[in-house]
Amino acid sequence: MSRIGVFICHCGENISRTVDVELVASTASQFPGVAFATDYKYMCSDPGQSLIKKAVSEHRLTHVVVAACSPRMHERTFRKAVEQVGLNPFLCEMANIREHCSWVHEDREEATQKAIEIVGMLVERVKKNRVLPTITVPVTKRALVIGGGIAGIQAALDIADAGHQVVLVEREPSIGGHMAQLSETFPTLDCSQCIMTPKMVDLANHPNIIMHTYSEIEQVDGYIGNFQVTIRKKARSVDENKCTGCGICMTKCPQKKIPNIFDRNLGTRTAIYVPFPQAVPNVPVIDRENCTMFKTGKCGVCQKVCGPGAIDFNQQDTLIVEPVGAIVVATGFELYDITEKPKGSPIKGYGEFGHGKIPDVIDGLTFERLASASGPTGGKILRPSDGKEPKQVVFIQCVGSRSREKGISYCSKICCMYTAKHTMLYHHKVHDGQAYVFFMDARVPGKSYDEFWRRAIEEEEAVYIRGMVSRLYQKGDKIVVMGSDISVGVQVEIEADLVVLATAVQPRKGADALAQKLGISYDKYHFYSEAHAKLKPVECATAGIYLAGACQGPKDIPDTVSQASAAAAKVMTLFSKDKLEREPIVARVKENNCVGCFACRKVCAYGAVEEKEIRDRQGNLIKMVAYVNPGVCAGCGTCQATCPSKSVELDGYTDEQIVAMIEAL
Amino acid sequence: MTQPIDISGYTRITESIRTEAKRILSDGTVSAVIGYTHVRRKGSTQPILITNPDDSEKLFFSEGCLNNLVVYLTKSKKDVPKTGKIGIVVKGCDLKAVVGLLGESQLKREDIYLIGVPCNGVLGSLINPATELNTKTIAAKCRECTDRMPVGADFVPPVELAAMPQMEATYSDKIAKLEAMTPSERWEFWKEQFSKCIKCYACRQVCAFCYCEQCVCDRNRPQMVEQSPRPSGNFSWHLVRAIHLAGRCVGCAECERVCPMDIPLNLLNRKMAMEMKELFNSEAGFEVREKGPLNSYDEHDDESFIR
Repeated sequence: MSRIGVFICHCGENISRTVDVELVASTASQFPGVAFATDYKYMCSDPGQSLIKKAVSEHRLTHVVVAACSPRMHERTFRKAVEQVGLNPFLCEMANIREHCSWVHEDREEATQKAIEIVGMLVERVKKNRVLPTITVPVTKRALVIGGGIAGIQAALDIADAGHQVVLVEREPSIGGHMAQLSETFPTLDCSQCIMTPKMVDLANHPNIIMHTYSEIEQVDGYIGNFQVTIRKKARSVDENKCTGCGICMTKCPQKKIPNIFDRNLGTRTAIYVPFPQAVPNVPVIDRENCTMFKTGKCGVCQKVCGPGAIDFNQQDTLIVEPVGAIVVATGFELYDITEKPKGSPIKGYGEFGHGKIPDVIDGLTFERLASASGPTGGKILRPSDGKEPKQVVFIQCVGSRSREKGISYCSKICCMYTAKHTMLYHHKVHDGQAYVFFMDARVPGKSYDEFWRRAIEEEEAVYIRGMVSRLYQKGDKIVVMGSDISVGVQVEIEADLVVLATAVQPRKGADALAQKLGISYDKYHFYSEAHAKLKPVECATAGIYLAGACQGPKDIPDTVSQASAAAAKVMTLFSKDKLEREPIVARVKENNCVGCFACRKVCAYGAVEEKEIRDRQGNLIKMVAYVNPGVCAGCGTCQATCPSKSVELDGYTDEQIVAMIEAL
Repeated sequence: MTQPIDISGYTRITESIRTEAKRILSDGTVSAVIGYTHVRRKGSTQPILITNPDDSEKLFFSEGCLNNLVVYLTKSKKDVPKTGKIGIVVKGCDLKAVVGLLGESQLKREDIYLIGVPCNGVLGSLINPATELNTKTIAAKCRECTDRMPVGADFVPPVELAAMPQMEATYSDKIAKLEAMTPSERWEFWKEQFSKCIKCYACRQVCAFCYCEQCVCDRNRPQMVEQSPRPSGNFSWHLVRAIHLAGRCVGCAECERVCPMDIPLNLLNRKMAMEMKELFNSEAGFEVREKGPLNSYDEHDDESFIR
């Protein structure tokens, strides 16, 4: 006979405001099998947990139901608590009377009745819970970092410094990401390259780091502690082991007029190229789309001039499988562009700004390249159309961001600060120039940030106009900016030489496809979702995968670096143990009923279902059945739902338990 | 107007089957052949399993060969030899069942030898077995059959198929009628049909795809479906069966033929097949599919039902 303890939590007032918790407790104490029921203000607090532990010992409880918040929040808390007094943790279940009841209802009487029924269901279910032994799995103490920007570099260095091997995968030919493109960084105006390149070199030289540049994630199998990651190393056409990085191939390449993407298409590069002079690794790549050899079959100049013979036109993509125990995702961001969007797209372009067709309307990252000493203009601010020095520059903030009508409602967070920085850089380089900034409001919280913004206005003479711009159009060699100044309530018209748009920060294209490979969730903009907005900001809901940087949401460099180190710390915590305990909520096959149709294997997203032979004592094959590998099973229950003869059961969620819950209603 | 159907090819098919069966049994290709044979009543037939090449003369094919013999390859294989290849006579519809079972790991292609029959149709029923095959007496499933010529069989008698006349009263017509009903009329229609069910499970017994060792409807811990022949349990049983067969059923219509209460089971299955075709562009055919439509996810699948 079960002796069930039922513990009703007030959750401060979150539950008790709408649910009569005392009535729920007194009613539950009458349910068959319930030996004890009570309520308490904060069941998850230390006195609350002590109350449960005491009741388990005093009333010799066999099962526990805690009616409180979502099990996502506190199931582990309460299971740990009952374990400390000798109960198997899987004999403790949670009834969610907060998210499923008090938060969504107003009528106290009805909500109370519903809470009673939810508790009743869980009481019936917990009766049929079995003692489940914890599953332990080994941990591969190697980490994968996806993305070689500042986030990925920081995470990789931290993990590697702790003594663990790190595999870093970067899509581009060089690591460095966006930070390598920046000129100077706020709020101190130190040169981005000067603080970034040493880290890039550290990474390349670190004995614990294996770097795969010009590579992408092909496939991810496995689970926390035991991932198998297939990496596609794209054909570089240059042998990384032979190349010395002398660069003669690039000087001799006849294709010299290819727009340089790293310089936001302002400069040009050759068909065999490194994205920028400080690239790591300093090994060129042949851009096969633009290379004469690949287009016509004739040329091969680079091959002829290459001393070590590193050029290999026949190189193919290779697939490498790396076993890792944890994954840090740091894929970063890209900037929204104002061009016309395809019909039906939820995110709209800016027709009123010329859909990107006015040459001297550029975005913030392009301005960074103009201001950068290593940029296409050598650090001179020259406008793209005619190479003249602009004397009037208009900066427009919140382009794309914070405009629901354009499809993006979030704030891109970094633009207020970098626009202030841009006005300063401009003022430093063009002494007789004037910068105007159209802004909604300045969002500059952060250490020394407000001071920085004030400096732009008070010392660097930027004119800040509170208001939005309604239209941009070309008039002669000027761009007419039509806007409003809402602080004085007048229309403003400025004839500008250059317009810089602070466009929204968006996740990388293909972020959704990578998320699907990794099995992590993402929001409607394709930013990756953390497990808990406040308490688990670097973990994914998928165990063993962590987030760093702007792939999770817009972030500046200090925040990105902090999060990268936090993700690294999480990885190190995971690697501090040799074995990993995992929940034994896994599927089991009833082998005597299974007919081996393997529908379960077809639907299993984790590759956990294997074939197993059933033989008699003479060794004759009787039949083939499905077998679920408990180390791989994620407990999603898809196999259970699919099995036509119901020969698969998910421990803790058996059909018997589910039916018992329904019947309790 | 009733028109006769040309089945003159069946005599030559019979001869061909006999020669082939004799050959494969004599040279040891197969250990047994499952086919059709005569019974005493004129025009009637029954399944037969032969292991002796001399018994090949007992085999034959006619418009009375209604059974889908594939069921003898899975759950009704008590008398089938356990070793060696098994030869089996299959019509187009039956062959699709073999293909389905191959995809569901219930058969191995190397374990079977398929004798495909070019088919001009069979009778709807053997109650009056000596009936002539015409556009009225032909089985409903044959009226709109597009798979008369089996594809991918090991042996097909070299017989040309005669042209078929246009036929009415097809399943498509009946489905159109069902779809024209209001939901409540349709509910009443099936309620009445299922109320006839006596839970004899003949439909399950004859179905090549009902191969589970323990049917979910026989489970009692927990009981998923009420087992006595009462309206609610009848409904559940037929709906479970329809859903389990969706995307798999090949339309051999054996369930409908064996139903003693004349419940139009294949009508339900055809309707489900139509839904599968419309939703997932998937239908039972001659190509082995690794994953059925309900066991696979494609990012282009219609998700408009998620709101």
